[in-house]
Amino acid sequence: MSHHRSSRGGELSRERDSGRIKVGVSDLSVATDGETLTTSGLGSCVAVALVDESTGVRGLLHAMLPNGTESETGIERPGKYVDTGIKRLIGELEAAGASPRRLEARVAGGAEMLDLTDAIGPRNVARAEQCLDAAGIPVVERAVGDDVGRTVRFRADGRLVVRAADGFERTL
Amino acid sequence: MRVDVRALGACNRLAERGAGQAAGALTDLTGTDLSVEVTGASVASGEDLAEAFAGRESIGVSVGLRGGLEGEAVLAFDADNVDALLSLLPGGSSMGRSAVTEVGNIALGGFLDGWANYLGKAIDMTPPRYFEADGAAVLPDGALAGDGVFLFESRLDATTTDLDFSIYMLPDSGQFRDLVVGKTAPAAAPGADGGAGNDGTDSTAVPYESLSTFASLAKRGSANAADNIAMMTGLDTNVDVSRLRFVPLADVPAEVGVEPHAGTVFELQGEPSGYLAILFEEESAAKIAASMLPSEPDEPLGGMAENALCELGNVMTSGFIDGWANVLGTSISHSPPEFVHDIGSATISPLVAKLSRRQDYGFVIDAAIQTEGVQSRCDVYALPDERELARALDRLSES
Repeated sequence: MSHHRSSRGGELSRERDSGRIKVGVSDLSVATDGETLTTSGLGSCVAVALVDESTGVRGLLHAMLPNGTESETGIERPGKYVDTGIKRLIGELEAAGASPRRLEARVAGGAEMLDLTDAIGPRNVARAEQCLDAAGIPVVERAVGDDVGRTVRFRADGRLVVRAADGFERTL
Repeated sequence: MRVDVRALGACNRLAERGAGQAAGALTDLTGTDLSVEVTGASVASGEDLAEAFAGRESIGVSVGLRGGLEGEAVLAFDADNVDALLSLLPGGSSMGRSAVTEVGNIALGGFLDGWANYLGKAIDMTPPRYFEADGAAVLPDGALAGDGVFLFESRLDATTTDLDFSIYMLPDSGQFRDLVVGKTAPAAAPGADGGAGNDGTDSTAVPYESLSTFASLAKRGSANAADNIAMMTGLDTNVDVSRLRFVPLADVPAEVGVEPHAGTVFELQGEPSGYLAILFEEESAAKIAASMLPSEPDEPLGGMAENALCELGNVMTSGFIDGWANVLGTSISHSPPEFVHDIGSATISPLVAKLSRRQDYGFVIDAAIQTEGVQSRCDVYALPDERELARALDRLSES
């Protein structure tokens, strides 16, 4: 059984399963052995799935807020923020043998769930697009926005299965 | 004692890491994946703990701690799960008690490693003691004494089998207590703070007595909310659980879970500000809404049910925060209800995100309220702003 590093606090990933790695809120994980990466309950949070298809190395981030670079906790918990999370995820993918130049991205989540919480979702998505663009990583598919919660599975073949609260499933 | 909220965050983080190591050790030993579900510190009186553990039978292992930490750490699991546990262990059920003892020893060793590193001092464990305990007797010595205690609890879940472990530690005295009150490492609380708020005006130290008062206030609030459900529906309604816990905010959505939920969320304005969510699983939401409507609605969770749930949410929230302003000497109001109907964790994650801009950890009040007759149950989560709550609680101790 292989151990996966999780950046949330640097401990072992909070959940391992034969073939499944669960990524929590403010967390990120990398898969190198064909495991399915999953994260659930994406409301205004955004999931960024990166894959280098030639090596099969994949990573999934579940970030809560757009901007962390100015904040100390961005460094302590890089997965909490879209920008620090993407940067850390790219670093971990590279360390696991992926080439940053071959990475492609799929983005899901960032819903506008509540009127109470001013547009966190759309700002998370905008920040993700901006950071990926700056890193030269193309966003090949997205299932973002609206007012619907989502759960995602990042499969070994690099496709991202996005399931909405009503059970509707799309494969990106 | 004055509890430093940032130091508490650092302790929680250590407990979280320690639980991660314990889960890793158990995974290696049993070949079954275990994950840390949640780590938190609850504020509870001995009486509350006795009530919360009533009727539970646990088996487990306790170790005494010497050196870097003194006190007791306990690893426990539900006695109902004993067969499931034994089937996972090398040697199987024939090993019984000695296998359980060994498991506990290894897991607690993993749990304590992180604390020893942080303290820069070795922690010696006495030989593990196997126990079978009824109710709150499972808890470390001293948990039931006095007005109230902080109980650190980590829950470990097996992903493929029905098996929960809990690890308990109690800062009853000495070094652990110094850690919690911020004496040991006042500045070294990485991740416990949003980075802002070091301007000297924000107090992060809270008198323990005030926290205990607030826990009672929250409990009374839960009872008010339940009474208001009873008033609106005419059905007997009771509070099952009401807890005040200090937890990583990022863990809150996972606690709500991925089942579809319907309910209402509110913004709290005043001191403390924050959010409150009242969430029902779909079936419960439909049942409680139907009990308030004159006739069966066309759609179980359509417009009529939505209106009913909003009205119910309004009176529950008023009841819940009623008394806060008086006791805390502040003024607190709430926004109109916003209806939510989605994956449970997705409905609460925007609230958590909003609060997380300033804090990684927070005091969370959660209550489970059960309505008889229609078998409907809801969970109330109150998420106050940590600094504002700390300020209000600090003032409370002066008055």
